[in-house]
Amino acid sequence: MNQTQTNQTDNIHTELAPAAIDNILATEDQLVPTSGFLASVMERVREEATAPPPIPFPWRRAIPGILLAAVVFGGGAFEFVRHALPAVRELSLTQPHLSAAFDHSLEQAAWVALALGVSLFSWLLSKRLAGRSGLL
Amino acid sequence: MSYPAERHELNAASQSPPEIHAPADRDLADIIRVLAGDIQAFEGIVRRWQGPLINMAWRYCRDRGRAEELAQEAFLRAWRALPQWRRESSFSTWLFALAANVFRSDLKRFPAVDVPLEAAPEPSGAASQHNALAAQLNAESVRRAVLALPHRYREPVILFYFHEMDVAAAARTIRLPEGTVKARLSRARALLRKRFPHLEAQHEEMEFGTLNPGKEA
Repeated sequence: MNQTQTNQTDNIHTELAPAAIDNILATEDQLVPTSGFLASVMERVREEATAPPPIPFPWRRAIPGILLAAVVFGGGAFEFVRHALPAVRELSLTQPHLSAAFDHSLEQAAWVALALGVSLFSWLLSKRLAGRSGLL
Repeated sequence: MSYPAERHELNAASQSPPEIHAPADRDLADIIRVLAGDIQAFEGIVRRWQGPLINMAWRYCRDRGRAEELAQEAFLRAWRALPQWRRESSFSTWLFALAANVFRSDLKRFPAVDVPLEAAPEPSGAASQHNALAAQLNAESVRRAVLALPHRYREPVILFYFHEMDVAAAARTIRLPEGTVKARLSRARALLRKRFPHLEAQHEEMEFGTLNPGKEA
């Protein structure tokens, strides 16, 4: 008898377990929008609708610059690899000191890197100046 | 399932042109007008869905001002994305899914609560259960605790109860399979039950008290 009662209580508990949570979470007062909400949404929609379309990126003007930059960077990378590879090949594990050829190549590579840096700086500077003047 | 706006619209259907009665038809008519360049037609959509969207946002953040801001942002996104609605699902499903995305991403940036579930306030004891104010506070504690649930469980709970306990609707809004939503709901309930053991006991007492009034005497 007691066993039956316990089982019944367990069953009831299992059934009721989610009910308390459900009761609380399902019964919630409905918020009423404030009086100005609709007007405020429509105002923002109108603002957005009447706003001028974003200025498209000036591809026609930018393409020569992009091509030039690609040539400069591509050439620079090519030169860098061309000078650095022989120096790497000349390196030997048995040779503890750096060869003169490697020193020479490294110096050339440094010059190439410097040239690339100057090119990048001048490109960024011109872009910034053009942006300020409203050309881009 | 019916949303508050739909209920309202159904009551007010007699004032509309006879050929358009259902809210879905009105939405479609307004959308067609908006896409044709009539900005004013969007007002009908906002009017119909402002209540549901604000209430949905409220369940995400439990902050009235923020709920309105979130709902406004959702309407703006809907305005921008309206041409992308392909009519594969109902407008309400599309709008709720879009709004859920807005609310989710905003709350990721600025969480509504940063309290772990373990630190959520425990409801007061059974002695004060008969006090209406205490009961209200208890309920509010549980509702706030939902926001402290781990993210993966929180959103299914919010949307399940927002959609009047309709798992399919919640799953459509969150864009997850129904089985996943059910599993997460179950886990979320387990976490809440573990956090609020007294709540279940109080509920049980209340149920027994209601079912067997003689027991209290």
